[in-house]
Formats: sequence, structure tokens, C-alpha cells
Amino acid sequence: MTSLSTLTLGSETDPYNSAAARGWDITDASQLNSSLELEADVVIVGTGAGGGTAAETLSKAGLSVILLEAGPLKTSSQFDMQERAAYRDLYQEGTGRGTKDGGMVILQGRSVGGSTTVNWTTSFRTPPETLKFWAEHMGVSGCSVEEMVPYYEHMEERLNIHQWAQAPNNNNAMLQRASDKLGYSWATIHRNVRGCLNLGYCGLGCPVDAKQSMLVTTIPGALDHKAKLVHRVRVVRILRDGDAVKGVEAEALTSDVRGTTGQKVTVRAARTILAGGAINTPAILLRSDVPDPHGRIGKRTFLHPTTLTMAIYDEAIDPFYGAPQSIYSDHFQWQNVDTGPVGFKLEVPPLQPAFAAGFYTAAGEEITESMDKLNHTQCMIALLRDGFHEESQGGVVELNDKGEPVLDYPVSDYLLEGVRRAWNVMLEMQFVTGAKTARPAHVNGKHYTSWKQAQAAVAELDLVAHKSKVGSAHVMGGCPMGDDPKQSIANCDGKFHHLDNLYIMDGSLFPTSIGANPQLSIYGLVYKLASTLLTNFQA
Amino acid sequence: MRSDRRNFLKLSIAGAAALSTMSAGATLSGCTSSGPASGMKILRPEDLELLRALTPAVMKGKIAPGDAAQIEQTLLSFDTLMVDLSEPVVVGVLQAFDVLNMGLTRGLTTGQWAAWSKASLTDTESALGRLRDSGIGLLNAIYAAVIRLIISAWYLIPENALTTGYPGPPKKVARVTPDAVPAKGVTP
Repeated sequence: MTSLSTLTLGSETDPYNSAAARGWDITDASQLNSSLELEADVVIVGTGAGGGTAAETLSKAGLSVILLEAGPLKTSSQFDMQERAAYRDLYQEGTGRGTKDGGMVILQGRSVGGSTTVNWTTSFRTPPETLKFWAEHMGVSGCSVEEMVPYYEHMEERLNIHQWAQAPNNNNAMLQRASDKLGYSWATIHRNVRGCLNLGYCGLGCPVDAKQSMLVTTIPGALDHKAKLVHRVRVVRILRDGDAVKGVEAEALTSDVRGTTGQKVTVRAARTILAGGAINTPAILLRSDVPDPHGRIGKRTFLHPTTLTMAIYDEAIDPFYGAPQSIYSDHFQWQNVDTGPVGFKLEVPPLQPAFAAGFYTAAGEEITESMDKLNHTQCMIALLRDGFHEESQGGVVELNDKGEPVLDYPVSDYLLEGVRRAWNVMLEMQFVTGAKTARPAHVNGKHYTSWKQAQAAVAELDLVAHKSKVGSAHVMGGCPMGDDPKQSIANCDGKFHHLDNLYIMDGSLFPTSIGANPQLSIYGLVYKLASTLLTNFQA
Repeated sequence: MRSDRRNFLKLSIAGAAALSTMSAGATLSGCTSSGPASGMKILRPEDLELLRALTPAVMKGKIAPGDAAQIEQTLLSFDTLMVDLSEPVVVGVLQAFDVLNMGLTRGLTTGQWAAWSKASLTDTESALGRLRDSGIGLLNAIYAAVIRLIISAWYLIPENALTTGYPGPPKKVARVTPDAVPAKGVTP
């Protein structure tokens, strides 16, 4: 691939440039000089995959909707593909979010559009195995493969989700070639893009609005239907009158969203929808001290714990350019569903330099010499499917003494066995496609020069959490849906079991991890839940 | 050996609280509480002394121990990175630095009994190796966090990113159209 650094991109596609002409009602809470009180039919907390989908569905039907977002409104006019600004402005805690013991880094979005503004566009329907497991073991009804089809179809059309038709970049092509050589199944990924230029900067905010994130689809759709958007505002707790939820109480954040301004924002609404994602949604419930008779809130939070191997080739890979994810393999994913060792999905990540450097669990020449060859570097990732086996109960969202969420998720031996197995699979895939060296993400790992050498070395590595690099870009669960209140906190319409007027519509509803990148699972489920809520409203 | 082990266990308990990124209120007894160093927003004078020693070891091959200009540029980038992280993360990182800065814990955890300003490159590499290979998860976590931050600080400087064979991103020209007047507090 040729250098993209000589390309110049404008900002003509930014829908927010015509916000005034379109009559959009957008408030930056950091600029408030006094408290703000609002009223609506529905208040939605969060503007990611769940909040955006719910907002458009409900506002289009004529309901008055207020959307609250803790992150800033950043749009394509500002997306300059520089890593520092993107990590600072578009991610939770500036990409510094981690699990309680520091064992895993968590990449999660935090701006208008939530994680959809920075995800890599990979779109899968919820795997049938997962839906079946929920129905059989987690008390989920109404979400069979057949019942979900119309909701996925609607959102696929809305977000132009289709199989990627261009050739994969070399980073992805290696996953395809290796699978062919070793007889592993693979397929081409579906992406939510329209007019994609194949640049590779999805993770830093799409500079040309090709990615059909919530930022440029459902949120403009909702604003066109008179929804109000308030950003840089953090919801503290829900408002209650006995068993009836009446809205939310929030605080305005400073311009950099790192502090509060002291101004309060109160929204009273007939229905309250929490869609802050699987760390912030349980945190709001915990701060609100809502009834939780079976102690379920924040429990069974899942991450698709992800590990990786890096390989250096003679040929150019240019892993920083091109659609980040276009090929995947589920060859090792579904041998067992809830018994036996953990299954994993194989994909590749985009490697802009600072991001790639963070993947190396190494210091000194081990990393600087590796990074000198980034344009010849290929990276495989394995996403472990947590939450199905009894030894995989996930993590727990708790509050610290300031009321901020902390995810306690120790990496168990059950998962570490999967980490080692995945390293072996991925290292072999890299060597069979001609890698000169390949290295597992372990602090004592080296750039091994043959598959045989790598296999012998991996067997000897001290497999403990803090020496093995494991991270996450998918946070799920913690507020599971289900028919049995002993096992779940919301019913299968997303309604909180123990209070009236309170709904959850985001990935925190998932009773296990998804076993695939979760965005389309959230879109489809939330479109279903919002459609049901609408029917109740109209009744 | 036994007393060493006891000390490690004690440190492990104190440090587990420290490194827990959200334990904003907790501070290790006896740690320094000075404000940011001159020219820095978050990093304290003792952190700079620590990072001046660690940076050439972590970035070996890119920064020579005597290359003050490169080291100072990396520290400034590190300080900006800290500003961009969340407060709970910053508190956790500073508490990890406290473990590495204070004489007793520095010596016990890294073998570096003299001040960081007296450490040679070999000393620093050995100190990092002890954190990396320790049997205590907390020290492994401190190692991972510190090297990740130093490495990120260096590669986040755009000209350094170009040393990897990365030609850089396309140029973005923001052309805001005339009707983009902020509506009701929009700040695009």
C-alpha cells in the first residue's frame, strides 16, 4: 500500500456543520452558568450503540426525547487522525481505564456516539449458539434467532452493514492465508460503512463520516425529530418517588470532561433509559441505591479478554492503513459452548504507532527494534469468549469512595489456559505465512525465529495475569436480562424488575459475553426493546 | 530471606491498594506529597528523577542515557499524557511512583538502594528486570504500567512515530461551512 500521508481530506461530510440550519437542539453542559431543568417523555443516558438506537426509534414515533452524554461532542471536522487527541477526547479515562488490579486495559468510547465513534466497524449478528445458551440457561425469552432476524435486518439496512468488498489489507490477509494453509475456517467481515475510503483510522474517529456510527446516523436522526442532546454531563443517580422512577440527576462536566463545573442538570421524564455501557450503567444503579434483592447488579460483567502475538515479515504489511478488520476466524470458537476449555475468535487490530507500542510487553531494544519494523509487522488477536463455562463468571462492577466505577476482574487460570492455547495457534499461523520472527504478548516473550522454537518457549512461560498481556475492547453484562428476577435485573423487555419506568438498553443486558464484536448485537436488541417500549407507550 | 518475604508481603498489601487505580483517597504513609515540578502539570520533582533514570533504559536504542533533550521531551509528553488520563488513573500511577521513589520500597522492589539520580543504565535495567520478573503481581503491574506510559509518551510524539516506517496520517483540513454557527451552545 502506498503512503496516505500525502492525501488531504476536507470536512464537507460533517453533519454537525449544518446543526443550526437543521434546527438541532444541542447543549454543551460545560458552558452552563446556572442549573438546567428539563422535561421529556423519555430521558436516555448514553449515546452509544444502545442510546443512539433507542433515541431515533422513540423520537421518530413522536415522543420527546432527551439524550445525555458524559463525553464531549467531537465530530469529523475535528478528527485529524492523530493518536494523542483521539485517545484524550474519545475514550474513557483517556484509554487509561483498566481493571481493579491493573491486569487488563479496557478500551471504551466516551464521546457523542459512545464506542461506535471509535470502534473498528466490525458487525456480527449475535451468534446462534449464544442466543440458544441464553434461552436454555439464562432465562431469556423472545430472543431466538428467528425472533431477532427482523431487528437485525432493520439495523443492517439503517447502518448500511454489508460484507466488505475490497481486498483485505495485508494485516488481515495474513489471517486469511494462514487459515487456508492450516485448514481453518475463515470469512469476510461485515462493516457499517458507506463510501469508506479504506484509510484505517476507524479507531481515531472516521475523518470522512464513512463509518455509520451513532454520531452520524441515529443521533442526527433523533435530532431531526426534535430530540435534545446534552453533552459533557454525567448522570449521578436516578430520581425516584417510591417505586416510580421520575428521571435523573446529573452534573455538568468541565470542557475537558475531567472535572465538574458545579452546575446541576435535572431531567424529569415518564421513562428513564440507561444506556451508559456495561461499566457506567451498573454504576448509576449502584449510586442510586435501587432495590437489588438478589445482589445481581454489576455481577457477571464480561470483557472478551483479548491477547495477541506480533510477527515481523520480510514483505510490507503496513498495518496502520486499510480497513482495520476485514477477516475473522471462528475455527476455535464453538467446539464446546459451555463445557471444556474457553473458545476464542481470531481477528487482527489496526496498528497506529503509539497503540502498537502499547501492545508490546517489552522494554529496551526488545521493543524499540521491533517498533522500527512496524511497517513489516502483523498482529493477531484472540478474543476469549467469557461467561459460558462455570469457571468463567466474569468481573464485578463496584464503586470506589468517590462513587466512580471500578471493575474487579481477575484473570483466572481458566482464561490463562486459553491465552496460552491462543498464542500457540496464532504463532503457528504467523510462521506458516512466512513470518521471520513472532512474539507472544508475555513480558518474558521474545521474537522467536521458528514455530518449533516458539512452541517450546511458550510452554515454559510463567503464565500469570500480570506477565501476560490481556486487554479488552468489549464490555458486556452486569445488568442481565431474563424472566427470573433471581438470575437477572431486567426483564426481556429491558424493564428493571424492581422499579417502574426504568429501562436498560445497552450491552449490560447480555447474560454472557457475545462471542463476537458486540455492536450489532446491541443495535438489534435495543431496536427490539425500544419498539416494544413504544407499543407500551402508545397503549 | 524470610524477612525479605515479609516485607514484600506487607508491600503487596499497601501497594495493592495503591495500584488499584480508583483508590483515590488512599496514600502510602511516609510518601512525599510535593506538588508538580516546575514546567510540569502533574509529575513531581521526584518522579522526574525516577523517569530520567528509567527512560533511557525503556527506550534503549532510541534515547542514549546522556541525551537530555530527548529525555526532557519525553517527560513533557509523559506529563501531557497524565493530564489526558482520568484522575483515578493518575492517582494510581503516582502511588506506583511512590513505591519506586521511597528509599525503603525502592530498594526492596528494585534493588536500587541509592537515589535514582545515581543509577547507571545497567542499574536501571536490572531494576526494571526485578519488577518484571517478581513473583508479586503488584510489582509486575507497576512494571507494565510504567513501561507502557514511557513508551506511549515517546511514540505519541508525531516525529517519533515516523521512525517505525509509518508515513503518517492523511492531512485533515477542517473547512467549516458558513451555516455552522453554533446552535444553543454547540461547540463543533
